[in-house]
Amino acid sequence: MVATQTAKPVTVPGAEAVVSAPGTARIRRLARAVLPGPAPGANGAALYRRWWLPWLWTAPAIVCAAVFGVFPFLNTVLLSFTNAKPLGGAANFVGLSNYTRMLDDSDFWLATRNSVLYAVIVVPLMVLLPLLLAVLVEKNLPGIGFFRSAFYTPVLASSVVVGLSWQWLLADDGLVNTWLEKAHLIRSAIPFLSDSWLILLSAMGLTLWKGLGWYMVFYLAALGNVPKELHEAASMDGAGAARRFWHITVPGVRQAMMLVGTLTGIGSLRVFTEIYMLGSSTGGPGGADRTLPFYIRDVGLDPITGNAGYGSAVSVALFVLTLGLTLLAQRLTKEDES
Amino acid sequence: MRTGRLTGSMVGIIVLTLTAAGCGLSGGSGDSDSTAGGCTVDKGNVGSGKLTGEVKGKITFQTTNLKKDFGSFFNGVIKSFEKAHPGTSVKWIDDPGDSTFTQRNVADAQACTLPDVINLNSETATALTKAGYLLNLGVKDPSAAKPFVPAFWKSSTFKDASGSALHTVLPWYTGGIVLTYNTDLLKKAGIDPAKPPTTVFGLFADYEKIAKSAKGKYFATMANPIWRIPADFDQMNIKTLSSDGKSAVFADDPRTTQWVAWMAKLYKEGAMPKDSLSSSNDPSTPYTQGKVAYGSTNPSYVRFVKQNSPSIYAKTAVGQQPFDALGHTTGAPQYISVAATSKHAPVALAFAEYLTNAENQTAWCKDPDVVIFPTTTTSLNDPFFQKVSGTDQFAQARKLVADQLKTTTAYQTNLSPAVQNAIVSQVQLAMQGKKSPAQAVKDAQAKANELLKQAG
Repeated sequence: MVATQTAKPVTVPGAEAVVSAPGTARIRRLARAVLPGPAPGANGAALYRRWWLPWLWTAPAIVCAAVFGVFPFLNTVLLSFTNAKPLGGAANFVGLSNYTRMLDDSDFWLATRNSVLYAVIVVPLMVLLPLLLAVLVEKNLPGIGFFRSAFYTPVLASSVVVGLSWQWLLADDGLVNTWLEKAHLIRSAIPFLSDSWLILLSAMGLTLWKGLGWYMVFYLAALGNVPKELHEAASMDGAGAARRFWHITVPGVRQAMMLVGTLTGIGSLRVFTEIYMLGSSTGGPGGADRTLPFYIRDVGLDPITGNAGYGSAVSVALFVLTLGLTLLAQRLTKEDES
Repeated sequence: MRTGRLTGSMVGIIVLTLTAAGCGLSGGSGDSDSTAGGCTVDKGNVGSGKLTGEVKGKITFQTTNLKKDFGSFFNGVIKSFEKAHPGTSVKWIDDPGDSTFTQRNVADAQACTLPDVINLNSETATALTKAGYLLNLGVKDPSAAKPFVPAFWKSSTFKDASGSALHTVLPWYTGGIVLTYNTDLLKKAGIDPAKPPTTVFGLFADYEKIAKSAKGKYFATMANPIWRIPADFDQMNIKTLSSDGKSAVFADDPRTTQWVAWMAKLYKEGAMPKDSLSSSNDPSTPYTQGKVAYGSTNPSYVRFVKQNSPSIYAKTAVGQQPFDALGHTTGAPQYISVAATSKHAPVALAFAEYLTNAENQTAWCKDPDVVIFPTTTTSLNDPFFQKVSGTDQFAQARKLVADQLKTTTAYQTNLSPAVQNAIVSQVQLAMQGKKSPAQAVKDAQAKANELLKQAG
């Protein structure tokens, strides 16, 4: 019924002077045209059906997305067909030459291999390990808060600090090698920081260690939605902890796993800091540990010798790779569900 | 109807975005005759002819990580400049000078918002000169050279896009370079600490002796070759780049392959920690722990050792950096530049010259908390730098550097980080034995040329 009533002006003491001020009527007409206020005689429901109203509410978000997302993306695509320099200046259209160069560029393929390898190894572990951790700390036991905080602490530490700590841990005379030598498990130091494969694996370890706590929180939230009654019923039927985990917990947090997998996949393909901290500015000896973002920095962003056009082409390739892997993961999950 | 509106809106957004993208592609605005980089600027700031105009207006002055320790000194300089030039105002800002310094200032330049007077390192000065964002001081004030040590001024040039060398910087303060070593470890290897080597290969031979005597207990130096490239090449007078800076030529000199062979041999024989090949190249901490025989080459490092490891300081001595074929040291100082985009270029130029004049340089370098050296002739002739008192190693380091600076040049080869990394990567592979030194040098030159070619 309220919707059919004609809006009455509210009388406010002292407002008469404002209402009767010159130009007020014009302002009110303008405001009525622009703002979603009830027009005289207008039906409220009809008002909210004005076609531009949703656009008006979403305008700030659309502008932000356009300025910080769509525009940079389209600009990157456009730049990939030019020989633009990081410092500006004239950029010429070069057609597909940046893309054909990429196909013949062994450094590009090495970086692609490293990025894909990173995703292939890190994603499954990052999907599974935080879940196990969440299951461990989910129970309300005395002192469990300490462990939850401890697992979450690496998330709060800066990547640079974590990287330096790992350098110290993995050095030839670092904690890991010293312990292994004292335990007579190795005779000489494991070259964590000078062998390109070990640097890559160590960087993956760093990513996992730093991300475990973050995704553990995701899973803790998701585990709260898994009905306890199912676990109790399964226990009564004689199902063990492992069986309950695979048949009750995992299906119960499937959506969270999907989300973690997607986020981790995107993050893995964009990894830079871990490689930089453990492999220095060259990206490991001989640049053998460079990932795609690392390579984009080298070829595209260098202020003196960078080629923003080629760097943009590699960025587009990274985007396609990220999108492809994400779609593949979604498809596999859907197939699994069906 | 609704579909039509949606399509229309989307087309509108895409058209606007593409238009904006097109603007971005043009590399800047303005079709005026007077442009610097991609920015429209006052006509007097570019081209030929001395800069003229009234010294009046407000400018911004940017230093690199100096505010915390030297706030009172620079505030005093600014105050006295403003007093000497009524109608001027200097706003001082301080950049942290971290690893993104160059990228940040390049972004400022592209946005036409570079500070009017700016403290630059050689890498950033190289990039900004190439793109035309800095005032050509050699043209805009032909008398700018007067106060500086001739060798320093002559060598303080950077190349523009055409490859011509321009004076876009005023040399400011410099640190010098010395050998710092643990005399105990050198004596154990049969090396006389009082007679430092005079060539780079002589120094390598000493590293080898240390490796043989240390037997893995300690090391001579760090492995990551990034701090030796192109510094060692410069010292050995090996040309790293062609004269126009557009191609790499270091592989043409047979000594480059010998140098890489030495590095590979030293790494293999244990003169360097294996895990330092592509990680830390800073010997500061391992030196103070007695784990490496040679410390940092920065003269101020002696003070660091004295303060942090008195027992190692007692064994520490300093010696002259090997002059090798070059015959003197090279080292890029910190620079002061004036942005060509400055709205008050006459004020900015006057302030830049005031800041770097002999009086202000001498005053700052005498600060007891500073271990830096001036670049003006009058300052270096000051008894403070010429009559070094005291016999401690810190005083010796100061004396050695003051002697060097009479002949030193700023002709340090300026490699872009990407080119430097490309060369270093190949040397690392040779050090690991994955490539022969000759192949590594050949590949390094090819990779460097690939990057230089794409830069145009």
